[in-house]
Amino acid sequence: MGLAIGIMSLIGFRNTGSPTLFRLTIAFFSISAGFFVIWAGYMVEDFITKSGNIERWIQTLGIVIQTIGYFFIAFSHSIKSFFPKSRYFRSVGIFPLFLVSSVQIEHIFRSISFILLAYGAIETMLSYFENKNKGAISVAVGLALLALGEFLGWYSFVFPESILYSISMTIKIGGLIALFIPVSKIPLTKIKFDDLD
Amino acid sequence: MQLKYTGIIMTEYRTHMKIIGDILATTRDDLQDEDGASVTYLIRKANVSHSRISRILKTLVSQGLLEQDGTTGSNKYRISQSGREFLQAYYTFTSFADNFGLTI
Repeated sequence: MGLAIGIMSLIGFRNTGSPTLFRLTIAFFSISAGFFVIWAGYMVEDFITKSGNIERWIQTLGIVIQTIGYFFIAFSHSIKSFFPKSRYFRSVGIFPLFLVSSVQIEHIFRSISFILLAYGAIETMLSYFENKNKGAISVAVGLALLALGEFLGWYSFVFPESILYSISMTIKIGGLIALFIPVSKIPLTKIKFDDLD
Repeated sequence: MQLKYTGIIMTEYRTHMKIIGDILATTRDDLQDEDGASVTYLIRKANVSHSRISRILKTLVSQGLLEQDGTTGSNKYRISQSGREFLQAYYTFTSFADNFGLTI
């Protein structure tokens, strides 16, 4: 689902050159890549290492990649001036803030993800009150579910043997479905690639 | 919808992309005559300054989104087929971004 939204954003960016769509492209490709890394970690554990637990560094890597995606979703609401062709790299200079070294770096990134997602959900909901676009409700609910899933994923460290982690993943998948519902209604049949190349 | 305080009234903030969309929409849907829209007409309809619209029109013509007709003495602009497709993409992805509470 995240990949599908990312591809649609990429089509939009290539057709219009919009920086907003560029940021959404990065966001959803990052989220997809993060989920893929975690899934790959479980596959490695199931079929190769068979240790009973996913390698911690793989899970952390997946969460970090997802957090980058959440960052671009959340701050698309406040970054209004940067464009990928000009000062793009300057605008991501905030990234060193995320690179604080810690033993419990996974906890840090999960909490950052939660804050970013909660912020994105609130901003999207506020935009609904301004524009009355019903699709924004679904996106806000999707972001809120992702935030809840991230929170439960973090909380599952307190009860490692419980089903909290499974519930967390299920809620996050539900969140991605909610994000995809309004996006799936966008007609793309007449959009052509590379008209402006 | 984002509002910007201008000192006297609150006006809607328009992105560069939205201004381009407004110009293309005017040349597609709201032409003065068959020859196309004059710069003055576009300034009034799109509510953009002369210096800014001159730069934008130059870019749009060079990108093939607008066709310029200077045969009648005054420059007139009409939307091209590429411009129509761009405008359709613009409307489609405006709707896409609206779902995220964003403007393109």
